[in-house]
Amino acid sequence: MDDQQRWRLELKDSDAKVRAAAAENLCLAGSDSVAAAVELVVACGDVEDVQNWAASALEDLGAPSVDSVDALEPLVNSPKPLVGYWAATLLGRLGKTASRSQTILGKAVSDSPHLSVQERAAWALGKVGATEASVVESLKRAAASESPRLASLANRALA
Amino acid sequence: MANRNSKYGRKRGSFKIFWLVIAIVTSGGVSGFLNPDWPVVGPLVTSVKTQAIEYKNQTASGLEDSGVNNVQANPGAYAGTPVQSASALGPNDKILIATFNIQVFGESKLRKPDAMAVIVEVIRKFDVIAIQEVRAKADDILPRLVAELNADGSRYDFIIGPRLGRSVSKEQYAFVYDTNRIELDSASVGTIGDPGDLLHRAPFIARFRPRTTDPDRAFTFWLVNTHTDPDDVPEEVDALAQVFQVMQTARPDEDDVILLGDLNASEKQLGDIKKIPRIKWVVGGGVMTNTRQNKAYDNIIFCAPPTQEFTGKWNVLNFEQEFNLSREEALRVSDHFPVWAEFDVWESADTIH
Repeated sequence: MDDQQRWRLELKDSDAKVRAAAAENLCLAGSDSVAAAVELVVACGDVEDVQNWAASALEDLGAPSVDSVDALEPLVNSPKPLVGYWAATLLGRLGKTASRSQTILGKAVSDSPHLSVQERAAWALGKVGATEASVVESLKRAAASESPRLASLANRALA
Repeated sequence: MANRNSKYGRKRGSFKIFWLVIAIVTSGGVSGFLNPDWPVVGPLVTSVKTQAIEYKNQTASGLEDSGVNNVQANPGAYAGTPVQSASALGPNDKILIATFNIQVFGESKLRKPDAMAVIVEVIRKFDVIAIQEVRAKADDILPRLVAELNADGSRYDFIIGPRLGRSVSKEQYAFVYDTNRIELDSASVGTIGDPGDLLHRAPFIARFRPRTTDPDRAFTFWLVNTHTDPDDVPEEVDALAQVFQVMQTARPDEDDVILLGDLNASEKQLGDIKKIPRIKWVVGGGVMTNTRQNKAYDNIIFCAPPTQEFTGKWNVLNFEQEFNLSREEALRVSDHFPVWAEFDVWESADTIH
């Protein structure tokens, strides 16, 4: 088992200190940790230390593998907003190769209880594309939002 | 150089997207360093004021001497303060201004003595340093850092901004400065207003001047501390161009604006910032600023003129080499190296009145 595999396993350890150390190690490994993208998104729902290092790791990770789309999609609807935020972000980073995720992203724009997830989903739709009628409808409603950023991102995705 | 005799004489900026929000940490609105005639700009920011109150009495004893903690109790703290002799760190006629993204600077990093020893030694090299990525729910991160800085008799102090970010994972900006050599304009601290929500973390601003020269001749300047969202760099860099220009006209008596921080952008990605007349940036020419030495994300940006106080000296502090660390040890300090620039302590002579 190499370091990456071990750290990914340790993200699921029962000891929060072990999980935090694993998240930190994955963060310090930079883009070498791209295979851990989904686990890091899940770790964003953990305790503060784990969450901070996981979020920092994701900031610099770049686009995940296309293979991770199936695992990321349900995470967009996580009750934990930081998990949904990062799942949407990674889908957006995949660009057109994640175009099949537009339905779930459109639903997040309309229905997520978290503005940060709504905004990130709208941002992601600007990257993956919005061609389905229901997604375009979601974006049009978001374009009339009172949140200036959500409205701006929705308009950008519609353009 | 500051335009001190043109009372509202400057052309006002046409940028409406951002506005200045200044925290007045004095209850009476005493403004500026020494001159009570300098105007107060903008409304109160209670969050910063609240933090200043919270930090009082919870920090190391060395922090009670000056800065935000003291201003709360004594609005005229700096009035009549004599010119200070320089610390052992630098010449009296120059100051070093730096920016340092201390990746995920929170409880876990404070628990790493090796990393903290490097961070402390790095900060002690500079007179004022803009810090990005304070990430913690606790409020004692900067007080503990400053306590370590001052353990050798130094007199550093800090100001810290509110927790910012669109997600639940927030960050704070901070300025740490050597009170032997740098004076904070206590009425100038604040966060840029961003009603259009264009920036993930609106910049944290404050105005400073050196204490190692005659106050009437001292170089005064805004520092605009920034950390962009890596997923929105082109948009945020363009927004920062507007922030810069708003700051240039924020006060009629101050045109020295220094934007510094982690822009997640190399010099080729500075967008509208490059369109600002006479804009300069120090990091360029293929110099890298991250620990892995493959990105040029951090920079110090100003216009010259007016900021002719820049001596031309700058660098990236490669603490991996400086402290003979392995790459892994260096990464445990941060994934960014600090960037610094040197400035004269006197305002450029041609506009001193």
